[in-house]
Amino acid sequence: MDKTLEFRHITKFFPGVKALSDVSFFAKGGEVLAFLGENGAGKSTLLKTLNGDYHPDEGQYLLDGKEVRFKNPHEAIENGISVIYQERQVLPELTVAENVYLGRLPVRGGLIDTRTVNQMTQKIIDDFKLPIRPTDRVRDLSIAYQQMVEIMKSYSRENLRVICFDEPTASLSDAEIECLFRIIRKLRDEGKIIIYVSHRMKEIKEIADRVAIFKDGCYITTLDAKQASEQEMIRLMVGRDLGDIYDTLDRNDKVGDVLLEVKDLESDFVDGVSFKLHKGEVLGFSGLVGAGRTEVMRAIIGADKMTAGEVYLEGKRIHCREPGEAQKLGIILVPEDRKTQGILRNLSVSGNINISLLEENANKLGFVSSQKEDEAAERGIKNFNIKTPSAEKKIVELSGGNQQKCIVARWMETKPKVLILDEPTKGIDVGAKSEFYRMICEFAKQGLGVILISSELPEIIGLSDRIIVMRNRKISGEVLRKDASEEVLLSLGMIEEAVK
Amino acid sequence: MKKSKLKINGNLIVLFVALLVVIAGFSILNKNYLTVKNLTNILTAASLTGLVAIGHTFLIIEGQNDLCPGSLVAFLGVFAALLSSKGFGFGVTLLITIVIGLIVGYCNALMVNKLHLEAFIATLVTQSVMRGFAYIICDGKSIGITDPTFIWVGKTSFLGLKLSVWLMIIAFIIGGIILAKTRFGRSVYAIGGNAQAARLAGLNPQRIVTISFVAMGFLCSLGGIVYVARMQTGQPTANLNLEFDAITAVILGGVSFTGGVGNMLGTVIGVLLIQSFNIGLTMNLANATFWQYVGKGGLLLVALTADYIRKVNNEKRLLAESKRSRNNVDVKA
Repeated sequence: MDKTLEFRHITKFFPGVKALSDVSFFAKGGEVLAFLGENGAGKSTLLKTLNGDYHPDEGQYLLDGKEVRFKNPHEAIENGISVIYQERQVLPELTVAENVYLGRLPVRGGLIDTRTVNQMTQKIIDDFKLPIRPTDRVRDLSIAYQQMVEIMKSYSRENLRVICFDEPTASLSDAEIECLFRIIRKLRDEGKIIIYVSHRMKEIKEIADRVAIFKDGCYITTLDAKQASEQEMIRLMVGRDLGDIYDTLDRNDKVGDVLLEVKDLESDFVDGVSFKLHKGEVLGFSGLVGAGRTEVMRAIIGADKMTAGEVYLEGKRIHCREPGEAQKLGIILVPEDRKTQGILRNLSVSGNINISLLEENANKLGFVSSQKEDEAAERGIKNFNIKTPSAEKKIVELSGGNQQKCIVARWMETKPKVLILDEPTKGIDVGAKSEFYRMICEFAKQGLGVILISSELPEIIGLSDRIIVMRNRKISGEVLRKDASEEVLLSLGMIEEAVK
Repeated sequence: MKKSKLKINGNLIVLFVALLVVIAGFSILNKNYLTVKNLTNILTAASLTGLVAIGHTFLIIEGQNDLCPGSLVAFLGVFAALLSSKGFGFGVTLLITIVIGLIVGYCNALMVNKLHLEAFIATLVTQSVMRGFAYIICDGKSIGITDPTFIWVGKTSFLGLKLSVWLMIIAFIIGGIILAKTRFGRSVYAIGGNAQAARLAGLNPQRIVTISFVAMGFLCSLGGIVYVARMQTGQPTANLNLEFDAITAVILGGVSFTGGVGNMLGTVIGVLLIQSFNIGLTMNLANATFWQYVGKGGLLLVALTADYIRKVNNEKRLLAESKRSRNNVDVKA
């Protein structure tokens, strides 16, 4: 059992970010080593520097004591190191066998030897005990089996030594996860080095032997997966007890009149949603991803079409057909996916802050005052503590947390009445998170109505005055903060599954 | 407060130097190159491409495109000549031609916004249809201009420059100001960067795209009129590949084909560069038109390579910066 993969002083820079900082540890053959850490902790980056997708700026990898360095993922695979990504890398139009042996298909007389390749594939399928045929088209398989095809592809190489799984269960059902785990265990028992990246504590407890914990691009420690408690792991990966942050928040205790009222709202994505938001209130929206939380907000601001229902702002009926109309009325949505819906990659910090202020910054002829723009940018940078050397810096060169602050600065400059924050702290580090929490409380104090959509239960419980839970396109419950607990929110959000 | 608002980037400097090198090079090869007459010729030849390139600058920064200007200008030219030959006065002819140009631009916008066609495909449709109509309305024969006002428009000069050149200069200035200084210009960059984010930021991408296509229609109308006036004849075969010349100039000028990046000054230099190159070749080579194609391709390749090298260097610089910065931990994601 001399098989090891050693990570030695791995450091990787991206523009504006040190993604990995002097990471050193090792993985052993015949065990499953899990990588645990928050979004942006560097887990996936580490895998990508291992298989040659990225190149580390410093450090080296030792496989069985010998240094390995790959120009690209293909070279890594040839040398027995495979990474199975969350997104499938299979070719849907080809058969299972063709996918597994792609690039190495046996040839006879200039033609592909279909019989041999199918036989070879059938052997692996039998090994894995899967109910598929080598001749099945991959596009006809479920996502789980498509993933299996990828694993088979790696497994079919005689020299496979390291196999890494990057959040493999993200879109699998419980039964499918069980099947995946069975295969992982088989690989483990054959002495392969297995790295398993996941957020899900329960899975890590079940499949991993040891857990390597990462935080902000640094390796923290490795624990025995079976002995370490979940609390301990969380404490290490967060490195700071968030409970304290919530306790020290300076909350707004004066909730005012009804600001926004939604009656029986329907769109293509939600059914019969009604709720009220008060001035100075933080209203949480909880529920599973896909329950319709974002879609309610999109219908309110006119990003999606509202097919039925009524919306009242300060008692007046409104109907927004475009997000621009909602913005004029003072209803703002800070979208969930910062990269695709929030930032304008080609523009500077100033350009990003000012893009919603064109009306304010321009005179009647449409000429934009660069002085007003500079002022708004400086104000935003100061008020929201955006760490940037100058307002002219391109926004993509900042860290995620600072990009998000630019987006919030953009909206706060428009002096909104209702601020809807959709997963505002996704993928940003803990320090920036606590800053956001303070900001949210400050907004409430200023008399804004804040709607907070979040999948992080402690966050939504810690911040909201009231929490609405959605399940399957509808509101399934409403809880006050004093009654809220993770159990209550989860059971409201998943009750159907609980009944089963 | 910093007041370095006119941003001269590396690409522009490279382009400007390239323009000077081209002019200097041809001046050495041929004594007649660096003469007032020849330089005004370059401007006159550039005027139509210039007008169209202004429209392309807006559209390509938005992440759109337009392939119909060549045939649209030809059609509008023939159409104007036809109206004129039927006895319509110049004013009326101009007005009707402009209206038709605006309508065609609007149709392009409709196809892009409502049918959700790629601009490249939508305007390919228009390109083909307009070229067809250019032949249909004149039965494939060119139509001469006899209206004295019309002829005057083509012949008249002011301060040594033809009316078409002045038109291009004015359009460049107006276009440049709109792009750099107005709400509309800001919106153009925003939707080119990320249309979805821009919409959620309260902009109306579809409206901005519509205005830009209509503006292109307008520029094509003006181009068609002055071109026909200069030639004194409307020809259905005219202006082949005009849109590609304009797109080449725009890309040469530093507008990114993926959208979001570029400026009007770059386009101005891009247009001048291509045209001075073309005329230089014409003066020095027997079968210059053939070589012009090769030259255009070569210029574009050189410009894009320079742009790529600059981009790579910029990335390296950023990386070096983040390695140097001590407060990496603060700035971390």
